[in-house]
Amino acid sequence: MMDREVIISAIKEVAAPYTQDKEALDQLSETTSFITDLKINSANLVDIVLDLEEKFGIEIDNDSMAKMLDVKSTLDVIEAKLAEIDRQ
Amino acid sequence: MSNQHSTSLKPNLLKLIGNDLVDLRLAAIESNWRRKGYLNKICTPEEQKLVLEAAMPDEMLWLIWTMKEAACKIVQRSTGIRKYEPLNFCCTLNTQGIEISGMVSYFKDSFLIRSELQSTFIHSVAVSDIKDFDQLHLQYLKPGIAYKAEFNTITELYQLAGTPSGIPELTHQITGQKHAVSVSHHGDYLAVIYSDSLLLTD
Repeated sequence: MMDREVIISAIKEVAAPYTQDKEALDQLSETTSFITDLKINSANLVDIVLDLEEKFGIEIDNDSMAKMLDVKSTLDVIEAKLAEIDRQ
Repeated sequence: MSNQHSTSLKPNLLKLIGNDLVDLRLAAIESNWRRKGYLNKICTPEEQKLVLEAAMPDEMLWLIWTMKEAACKIVQRSTGIRKYEPLNFCCTLNTQGIEISGMVSYFKDSFLIRSELQSTFIHSVAVSDIKDFDQLHLQYLKPGIAYKAEFNTITELYQLAGTPSGIPELTHQITGQKHAVSVSHHGDYLAVIYSDSLLLTD
């Protein structure tokens, strides 16, 4: 299983180009919200989901995407999808 | 699909309004909706058909997007839960020139939409009851920290403020009652919609 810190830094890297508050990005933690903290446009959340799918080789279904508004939930979704792949 | 959203929304849903605005120039820079997989994640097959067959696909996509977001604001304010589920908001459209009306359904609930399509921006308004449109006001303002002050100067009877969680709050200066209000900002444009008749407290 991939280390949580590794996944968090990957999320940070993926979110960076869409982030309008670079200071909030520097202080990114599990509680960081994409929209309220990083000021990411909601139409760009799809890009983050697609970029994470590519980066991790996972497929994010719509129910999972519904939760991906902050770093913690995104981390949980990625971990669950990676675990699914491990089991296969 | 889980059933947890299928119960009807709280009664205060009926007192809410929502709006959403897209600055078309900025959207063209910020979003590449033609990238692989993008449309599939936000548009139903019917909506994708509307976009791909439209004379102006960009305008159609952002029109649909603002409809979904405007309806989503009503749902989120009613439930207090934030979710990112654009596919659960399903749009249908009627278009006549630049006056556009439509409907968005979300599980058992549906919302009526009126949209304004300009060459530089698209703005959509969502309500629960068609009568709500009658007493709705729209004010376009210059984005920036002073927009609330500007609004309050223009509409003397109302005071616009924001709660700490960022939700706008509109108070009638004489009755002290809270009125339904929604604010949307993107790029060079900011729109405030509010209602003379819809009160948030009884």
